[in-house]
Amino acid sequence: MNEELDSQLSAMFDNELPAAECELLARRLSRDPDIKARWGRYAVIGAVIRAERGIALEGIVAGRVSAALSSEPALSVDALQPAGRRLQYRWWQPIAGAGLAAGVAAVSILWLRSQALPDGSQAVAPALAARTAALAAPAAQALRNAIAPVPDSFVVPPVSQRSTMVVPATELADYVVAHSAFSWPVSRGNLLSALMVSEPGTSSTPARSDQPASGVQGNAIQNPK
Amino acid sequence: MSADASDLSLVRRVQRGDKGAFDALVLKYQHKLVKLVMRYVRNPAEAEDIAQEAFIKAYRALPQFRGDSAFYTWLYRIAINTAKNAVVSRDRSPVEYDLDRSNTDESYDMQGRMKDSETPEGLVLTDEIRSTVNAAIDSLPEDLRTAIVLRELEGLSYEEIAAAMACPVGTVRSRIFRAREAIDRRLREVFEGGLGRAEELG
Amino acid sequence: MRSRIRSSERIGWLALALTLAGVASADEPAKWLERMNHALTTLNYDGTFAHWEGGKVEMLRIIHRLEDGTVSERLVSLDGSGREFVRTGPSLTCYLPDRHVVLVERTPAKVSLLSGFPAINEQTARFYDIKEVARMRFNRHSTHLITVMPRDEYRYGYRLWIDDSTAMPLKTQLCDAHGNVIEQIVFANLKIRPTIPDAAFRPAISTTGFHWLRNDSAALKETVTQSATVWNVDRLPPGFHMTVRAAQTMPGSTGPVDHLVFTDGLASVSVFVETHVVTTAGQAPVMESARVGSSYAFSRVVDGHKVTAVGEVPPQTVRFIADSVKAEKPSESAPPPATLGPLPGGPFAHARPPP
Repeated sequence: MNEELDSQLSAMFDNELPAAECELLARRLSRDPDIKARWGRYAVIGAVIRAERGIALEGIVAGRVSAALSSEPALSVDALQPAGRRLQYRWWQPIAGAGLAAGVAAVSILWLRSQALPDGSQAVAPALAARTAALAAPAAQALRNAIAPVPDSFVVPPVSQRSTMVVPATELADYVVAHSAFSWPVSRGNLLSALMVSEPGTSSTPARSDQPASGVQGNAIQNPK
Repeated sequence: MSADASDLSLVRRVQRGDKGAFDALVLKYQHKLVKLVMRYVRNPAEAEDIAQEAFIKAYRALPQFRGDSAFYTWLYRIAINTAKNAVVSRDRSPVEYDLDRSNTDESYDMQGRMKDSETPEGLVLTDEIRSTVNAAIDSLPEDLRTAIVLRELEGLSYEEIAAAMACPVGTVRSRIFRAREAIDRRLREVFEGGLGRAEELG
Repeated sequence: MRSRIRSSERIGWLALALTLAGVASADEPAKWLERMNHALTTLNYDGTFAHWEGGKVEMLRIIHRLEDGTVSERLVSLDGSGREFVRTGPSLTCYLPDRHVVLVERTPAKVSLLSGFPAINEQTARFYDIKEVARMRFNRHSTHLITVMPRDEYRYGYRLWIDDSTAMPLKTQLCDAHGNVIEQIVFANLKIRPTIPDAAFRPAISTTGFHWLRNDSAALKETVTQSATVWNVDRLPPGFHMTVRAAQTMPGSTGPVDHLVFTDGLASVSVFVETHVVTTAGQAPVMESARVGSSYAFSRVVDGHKVTAVGEVPPQTVRFIADSVKAEKPSESAPPPATLGPLPGGPFAHARPPP
């Protein structure tokens, strides 16, 4: 056993090895089953220390993934992503400067505050508003996205060209409000909340109305199904 | 020195065709990922399936990973999406969207009992591993034990541990390494002596 | 070697869960929905919630009170737009400070907010699969997770986390027919109160210089005799039937507007028919569609009248209904057709007693 190498391995496992040495060690790690096994046991040690209960500590998954990979093609840097496959996790890539950590930290605050229910909890909103005000606009958006789940299937298409005809905002709001009295209470809540936060004004598309007009949120609407 | 140099060096190898490097990434993160997925599915076996699926997805998507974020962050999101999809497509069961990493929400089955997910039945090896590691840690000299616990439990960097223990960073690195060595000496027996887990890898 | 029986273990676990789900009374999930509706309409509460839709989250506050048969409600945007909706009885006032407009909408007197919404009945189960999926803890409250999943693509589904002790929905998801979440409301805090003072319903903004738009109530009386055309639909999406035929005016206009409401027991769609005013000479009639959150609206022009359908349903449903609206020739002997209020025999015909 090469103590220097193992010491490097331990440091690399902790992300504390300089980049140049990582490159060299990565090569050995990849090829040497003993080193790889030791690396795997380092992970097991961590899992035990964190008392991660309920999971198989010997690590079933690694073996199965390795076996599954044998029938996968090896990657190559030049491999192109097939067109049309959506990156469903795009929402969660951190915005430069703010980072995902900011979103997660703020989410923790939101949830901690929301733990204190009916008895004397303070309003959540001021904290959120203050935080979002402090962040730059894209980061604020990332923060808001972080607070609510993003359903994987819901992709917001790029904003479409708005036509020049604008239906007065009040007209749509009129209909919505007049209709809301007849809505199921849950729907009414959704409806009025959405109306509250909507952009004023809708635009209409002459003749071709299979495409719902870009409307209230400023986004084009994904076509149903 | 990038904090993520370790993972990135492995990722780059994978992107150039070295599957063995991906094994190393899986070995490092498999427990964390299973634990994460278990917030969405209670059954450990199912969680393992989903974690496996997530790793495969990550492998296939790796050409697009450019290192803008930490590899684990990227992997984490893939795992969550995979878990959510698995639950939603299974039987339209609701998913409790987990926004907080320290979420303590629990779910009940229809009878209102909380599912106990201690050691699943049939995983005697896990018990053995756990007790071996714990015994080894207990018998470590205190400075070694402190160093490894601060690293693995509290997630402190070497620099932070050095500050906490009032010693140089080099000493921290050495202590953690020696702690791991001491534990691994015993752990190796469980692995290699017993069930040949190591054989399944690479 | 580690036991390989886990596959059958897993199947056994799922089967057990499904069996247990079936053991509960078949009516019980629908009863939870009714309890929830009752709570939402009759309790006094003050809460803050996050409304998620279209990738955006907004924080809003809702204050609701039922006192002496009158509903008071105030919805406030906490995110800086300053918008407020305040309801006092039949009158809903929408303060839009960003547009310097106040909209005042008066609901026809015979329609009650307390019982005017769709009723879940046996018919509803034909189009929705309603079940209690689990008991879950949500923010330390014990809730019943009720799912209402549509059997076709004409309507939305819901997942509701209904609090066991108050029957309030602490979390609501609106889904499409495939179970994908489209809209979500999550309460951050919610207090049930014995009383709420009037002051809590006063808007926080000044309306100096705002343009007020109201229903013209004087014109309303005339519509009863004026409107000679009966509007109807020649076909509807499965499960929908007409429940209300009313006439009113819209804020900002004096012409009569026919208002029809169609529902499948859960979702409802309103159709408004009014004289179409062509504002630009030579402009061809257009079809317009728009949406507010997950609700869709669709307009078209029929026989010189503008027909608008709006409801919390997928866009193809409002389109279907709007396309089906036709004018009927009133028969000579029929009385003036516009009736204010519910049709006899419809679910709105009598106030539903609280469960």
